Amino acid sequence: MRKSSRLFMLLSLLFLAVPVFAQGGEAASGVNWVAITAGFSMAIASAVCGLAQAKATAAAAEGLARNPAARPGIQLSLILGLALIESLALYTLVIIFAKVK
Amino acid sequence: MTEQLWFTAILNHLFAGPVTAFLRRLHIEPKYPEAPIHNAFAMELLVFLFLVALFLMLRAQLSVDKPSPLQQIFEMVHDFIEGQSQEIIGAHSEVHTPFLMALAFFILLCNLIGLIPGFESPTALPVVPLGCALVAFLYYQVQGFKHAGPAYLAHFLGPSDKNMSILIRVPLALLMLPIEIISHLARVLSLTIRLFANMFAGDMVTLVFFSLVPLGVPILFLGLHIGVSFLQTYIFVLLTTVYLAGAVGEEH
Repeated sequence: MRKSSRLFMLLSLLFLAVPVFAQGGEAASGVNWVAITAGFSMAIASAVCGLAQAKATAAAAEGLARNPAARPGIQLSLILGLALIESLALYTLVIIFAKVK
Repeated sequence: MTEQLWFTAILNHLFAGPVTAFLRRLHIEPKYPEAPIHNAFAMELLVFLFLVALFLMLRAQLSVDKPSPLQQIFEMVHDFIEGQSQEIIGAHSEVHTPFLMALAFFILLCNLIGLIPGFESPTALPVVPLGCALVAFLYYQVQGFKHAGPAYLAHFLGPSDKNMSILIRVPLALLMLPIEIISHLARVLSLTIRLFANMFAGDMVTLVFFSLVPLGVPILFLGLHIGVSFLQTYIFVLLTTVYLAGAVGEEH
């Protein structure tokens, strides 16, 4: 009972934030959030792409070590997998070039 | 007037009049009427003419007993693509080899032509990879229809198991239909963006490092661009082969 009443008191303070909406768009003099977000999103996309490609390469190397005779199939799968993962990071780059002025 | 490469300037000087008249007849107003041909189109045309001349030259010196180095290179590429499509598609895959080779050479030369000063890669604009992806898409759809007739449309209903009751199969097919259509369209999108983004990113990265260190370092990125050009061509042809296998392959 006490915890929930404290929570509600806290939430009611948020109503004080409503006047912020009356200010209207002020992006001209403000910070260029689009560029900052673009930088972070590209970094995240490249990082996750790097991790995924590392997993793919490690699996391919291990498969090749266990069974060197299967080299053509493993090589094909590796190249195909790497290119598909790479393209996911590149989609982020394309969005950045399309949206960032 | 937009910036033109020297080859584009020559083409516009010779053909601007007829091309603008032709475009106007199609109710398209070119942005610069005295230069309707833009750089990407001029570069594609150059690659096309070069390839035609190369193949004519090759055909003139074809020989069984003493193949020239040019013939050996083309035979190598032909064997590689034929072997790969045989592996992926299975039976009757040789009919697709000419198309795949033409696609491979065109995309490879379009990618590489950007390395020569005075030329630019047409694949660094989004429309050119879109054209290549649409050509590949139309090719495998048409091949699917030729192979199976109207029953090719059953491919869009997803996998079907004859053992399940009809009550399950019909809603499942209805659910799979929009998913399959979207995934087929997404193939065009992914082929386009993959090729365009790789080439465009290569250009951007070279420019950025050129603005930082004008001497020596951009050479590394141009070398990377060469490797990426070959790899992206191979991936494009490989994915087209895989989609062909999905459309034409025998169900087991």
